[in-house]
Amino acid sequence: MMTAPLALIAELTYRCPLHCIYCSNPLQMSGSKSELSTGDWLQVFKQAGEMGLLHLHLTGGEPLGRLDLTELIAGAHSAGLYTNLITSGVGLSECRLKTLIQAGLDHIQLSFQDSTDRRARPIAGAPVHEHKVKVARIIRSHDIAFTINLVVHRQNLDHLEEMIAFVEELAPDRMEIAHAQYYGWALSNRSALLPSKEQLDNSLATIGAARQRLQGRIRIDSVIPDYYARFPKACMGGWARSLVLIDPSGNALPCHAAGVIPGLQFDNVRDHSLDWIWQESPAFQKFRGETWMPDPCRGCERRTQDFGGCRCQAFLLTGNAAATDPVCSLAPGRKVVDAILLRQNAPDGALTNPADTSLRTPEQRTNDPWSYRVNPE
Amino acid sequence: MAQPIDASRPRLARGCRLRITNNDNDAVVLFPEGALRLEGPGRQILEHCDGQRTFQEIVGTLQALYIGAGHAQVREDTASFLDQLQQQRIVDY
Repeated sequence: MMTAPLALIAELTYRCPLHCIYCSNPLQMSGSKSELSTGDWLQVFKQAGEMGLLHLHLTGGEPLGRLDLTELIAGAHSAGLYTNLITSGVGLSECRLKTLIQAGLDHIQLSFQDSTDRRARPIAGAPVHEHKVKVARIIRSHDIAFTINLVVHRQNLDHLEEMIAFVEELAPDRMEIAHAQYYGWALSNRSALLPSKEQLDNSLATIGAARQRLQGRIRIDSVIPDYYARFPKACMGGWARSLVLIDPSGNALPCHAAGVIPGLQFDNVRDHSLDWIWQESPAFQKFRGETWMPDPCRGCERRTQDFGGCRCQAFLLTGNAAATDPVCSLAPGRKVVDAILLRQNAPDGALTNPADTSLRTPEQRTNDPWSYRVNPE
Repeated sequence: MAQPIDASRPRLARGCRLRITNNDNDAVVLFPEGALRLEGPGRQILEHCDGQRTFQEIVGTLQALYIGAGHAQVREDTASFLDQLQQQRIVDY
């Protein structure tokens, strides 16, 4: 018997009013007609509570797009789960926030694309920055744990200090500075997003200084881009070891991007209990444990720390989901990553300064140096 | 911020709560992106962090429970435990 997962990630809908170029949602998304019903989700949350899961991360798309969100949070809360809402803030009024808190919401994570509307708009593909600022102030006026998330990348890293100062003024309890991860839409926009080595090094110094300055006031967590790492990240804490994700249509995946791996069949919570899926679903068993591991992972002492890295990244970059994550300095596939980094660090190699980005909308995307995330049918 | 003083009244920070299950046997403190399993003195300290009791009172309770450890040691350990959790925004005082 596998011990129960620690957390459930519930992608409530793929609908989203934003079109962020770094979105990690899949390129092929199921439409709203196939979304799970309120009753389906409540059943999943109840099962999760009974299995002893601790956290529920409500995400999407934009979870506020679900009109039954209050009911879902109330159900999760009474199942004993810690509820975390990951949101763009679009669709959140003070009145709605109050009902969510009353229903038992424990924590809100609000994302910002940049520190000003002019810069945020072309990244989000929507004029939502000023609204987000208003939402941040409303959240802060209530007694609820509050994290602001900044996704950082090639386009905004050069003014990271300014962005941190902007967040500081909004006074969250926590700030997350997350380098974009190259899956889904972010992978198709990688050359516009992957920073240079110099940008990365500067950002680490800036984050270090901010962490010290804000100590005890705002906790800073950061995620670094693994292409520059020596060893891979322990993606999802290891395949099917501690997290389970349910997509809007009810398919259960070991991680956000697992749908890209050919040949995996995902079981659905409409057909099976969460516990059965966790224990028995072939997709979960595929890369669980160590028997699937190739060399050099098989004999590596780090295999119990990083579990061979990310299976999706291995597939996306080498074509083989059972390869060592190619970001690993010991991986045979590392040359693929090195070639990408070489290009990103060449003086004229990548998009550093796309055309003036003041007022572009997704409708104008044919002229854009990147592609915007679009909603499913 | 620094370590708590005698008059501090530590409490769990916003968004952090204790979850006690399995007939009072398992205790974890849940916070936005994680959880800490609590055992022994750690659990006893956090169970007293209700925003009412002072640091001085909490130390007194722990000293009574851990007589063999020496008063100064218990005070020091309690202070550094709370200081660590404060830096992680799990406890406020």
